[in-house]
Amino acid sequence: MSNRNKAGLVAITLMMLAAPAAHADAAKDVLIAGRALTFLENGPSGRAVLGVVFDPSKPASVAEKNAVMAAIGGGMNAGAVTLTGKAIEAGDVGGASGVAALYVTKGVNVGAAAKSKKLITIGSDAGCVSSGACMMAVSGDPKVEIVVSRSGAAAVGAVFKAAFRMMIREV
Amino acid sequence: MKINLFAGASVGLCILASATTVSAQSIDYGAMQQLFNEPVTTSATGSPQRSTEAPAAMEIISAADIERSGAADLPTLLGRVAGLDVLNWGAAGADVSVRGYDQAMSPRLLVLINGRQVYLDHYGYTAWATLPVQLHEIRQIEVVKGPNSALFGFNAVGGVVNIITFNPKFDNARSVTVRSGAHGFGEVSLIHSFKLGERFSARVSAGASQEDEWKNHNPLISKKLLHDPARVSANIDTMTQLNDKTELRIEGSWSNSQISEMLSNNSYSPTKYVTDSIKATLASETRAGLIQLSAYQNDLSAKHIVVGNSARFDNTIRVVSLQDLFKVGAKHTIRIGAEYRHNKVNTAPIAGGELSYDVWAISGMWNWAITDKLSTTVAVRQDNLDLKRRGTFPTGYPPVANDYWNRSIKKASYNVGVVYRPTGYDTIRATAARGVQVPTLVDLGAIQVKVVSGPFTIGVIGNPTLQPTIVTNYELAYDRALPALNAKIGVSVFTQKSEDVKGMPTTSQLDIAPTPISLPLLSYRNIGDSKMTGFELKASGTLDGGFTWRGDYTRTDVKDRPTAGFIPAQRLAAFSQTTPSYRANLALGWAGDHWTVDGFARFVGKSAYYNSASVLTPISAYATVGGNVAREFGKGFTVAVSGQNLMKGAQVQTPGLEVERRVLISLTKAW
Repeated sequence: MSNRNKAGLVAITLMMLAAPAAHADAAKDVLIAGRALTFLENGPSGRAVLGVVFDPSKPASVAEKNAVMAAIGGGMNAGAVTLTGKAIEAGDVGGASGVAALYVTKGVNVGAAAKSKKLITIGSDAGCVSSGACMMAVSGDPKVEIVVSRSGAAAVGAVFKAAFRMMIREV
Repeated sequence: MKINLFAGASVGLCILASATTVSAQSIDYGAMQQLFNEPVTTSATGSPQRSTEAPAAMEIISAADIERSGAADLPTLLGRVAGLDVLNWGAAGADVSVRGYDQAMSPRLLVLINGRQVYLDHYGYTAWATLPVQLHEIRQIEVVKGPNSALFGFNAVGGVVNIITFNPKFDNARSVTVRSGAHGFGEVSLIHSFKLGERFSARVSAGASQEDEWKNHNPLISKKLLHDPARVSANIDTMTQLNDKTELRIEGSWSNSQISEMLSNNSYSPTKYVTDSIKATLASETRAGLIQLSAYQNDLSAKHIVVGNSARFDNTIRVVSLQDLFKVGAKHTIRIGAEYRHNKVNTAPIAGGELSYDVWAISGMWNWAITDKLSTTVAVRQDNLDLKRRGTFPTGYPPVANDYWNRSIKKASYNVGVVYRPTGYDTIRATAARGVQVPTLVDLGAIQVKVVSGPFTIGVIGNPTLQPTIVTNYELAYDRALPALNAKIGVSVFTQKSEDVKGMPTTSQLDIAPTPISLPLLSYRNIGDSKMTGFELKASGTLDGGFTWRGDYTRTDVKDRPTAGFIPAQRLAAFSQTTPSYRANLALGWAGDHWTVDGFARFVGKSAYYNSASVLTPISAYATVGGNVAREFGKGFTVAVSGQNLMKGAQVQTPGLEVERRVLISLTKAW
């Protein structure tokens, strides 16, 4: 085998090995979401309830809700907060209470209702930030990425600490 | 001046403390690292950044790395970093450089603790034993490879080592360590963090160590120039929350140490150091951004033996700096800063004179996240130095007045970087940087000594017209994560040019001819340029079963280009010969429930260095092996056995003392 072919084989092998995981890791995303909340001015500490918003008519949304609730279990330590989960149907967001933030499953948009209640919304798909379905998107694969909507944050009065803002992507 | 300086700083602190629109302040490194799953640094641009996104070649040694290293000193730790060179002169004396150009009293690596310079300005180097820090209170060591003068100012030309300690506001570091070993080694260190109420937190630390100096088998080295190393140091670090969103950090330190060190003329000196420092930093988040005002003073008393004469230098540095870091819109982060520095030292061994300079500097940084995948950073800094001399001159020196030292050095530096991340796995980084290595106070005239050689007397005098060395560096790097292998790899290529390299005084070449009323004199001269090119390969990862591995290889090729009339080897600046062509590291570790086992191998290519007669002496390629085995017994008790230079009882790494095997046992109790 020529050196050029060997180099090509090595490169292809490396690219195959690096293929991204097919599914998001719900536990990792929720952990990042919880830790990110601690960088809010006057952010939560101690025990905090994360509302997990889902649409019962959408199987993917229900599956993600189940995965997130399972990941949180009886309580998930995420930096200075211990998250507990509370499943909330999309139509019930307007009446939600006692939650520190909402975790919005894929395909669900409760942006308007959340804004009216001044609730922070978090999703695992960066597209939800640009569509207005969530204020913040988090993901853990292949590396931690956090995207925050400046207008969305302003709408709910959320202010992140300056150092944190310098390390994330704002849109 | 001291009173005025700190009075001015205090007024500024009060103004900031009374700001009404303030919010958060210092960086919580631990929480940030936990969130982003990687170390966070401010040493690349002054802005907090993830280590993988910094527009600079960086390595970060974590607290866990330090714990598992088994190292008892900083040069041992740094010697395991890709691309770093270490010259071990004695049991506690070492010089460190980045990618070549290492030398006795290595001037090209700027070393700081929490941003405070611990690099000693009188001779322009770092005496590692003087650093008032215990290894267990270090959160991380940030190593920047290449110039970073645009952020840190003069002398950050080869690289920067910024030691970040645990922050008493966020981190609860409490431990006591007792360490003992062969060759009379003994060490004790204590770190204790505590809080008083909701708004005050502090960390105090202290440590002492001693050991036998390595055996002297070299007839060229006088036993009178060696003594057993010992050090005592203490540090206090307090954080006061002035209001909900403004904090005041006050740090103080003291150290008293003695080491056998190699002077820049390649002669050993049984040097004694006493250092102290006080620093105040006020950080506040206002509508105008994160504003940080800091002021510090370093005091140094260093007693060297210079060509048979006792030379005591008393050096005081005072620094006041102000910076504002803010974000404009979603994509622009900007830092603007100003700094004032006053530096003074007496002449020695012949007293009677004092050199001082004032430096005014302004700096700025602009980071632009052009797209999600592409960002660029531009940082610039302008330093204006005004040199002065006062006092008398030794008899037999040329009839010049102190006005001859009235001289300004005005130099700009920059760092430019582009970071492109085409995927979540790949990072491409291109950087260009220009750094300024200012002549040291000794170079400029603090050294005054006469040497009697047979019937002749020759004087050594500083050179106030010496030009700074300008170091320009270009680097292209590619990093790739391999998640399927739990690994990452990286490659970088770089080229660096050093203009107006400094040459040392040499008896082979008179710099100032004698006259009927003055002696022949030797001095420091700019002797030409030097160019370095090289590449670096790195890989690291984890394996099932608790194993970790790491490897790196850095190759450099240095070519000296002297100005006509100068011979680098005569001027102790033959970097093409003194820089090894390669240095490489291999590390393998394993962690179980209660055990950790780590091994480290280092390989250094052949080189040459000056012996005590200033003759270049070949040094064969060598390999060293170190290791650490630790057992955690619960309730914070850990027992560790570690060793360095395990392959040989004594090994030639320099023309100086042979490096001896070191085996240590330590007991640590954390609470």
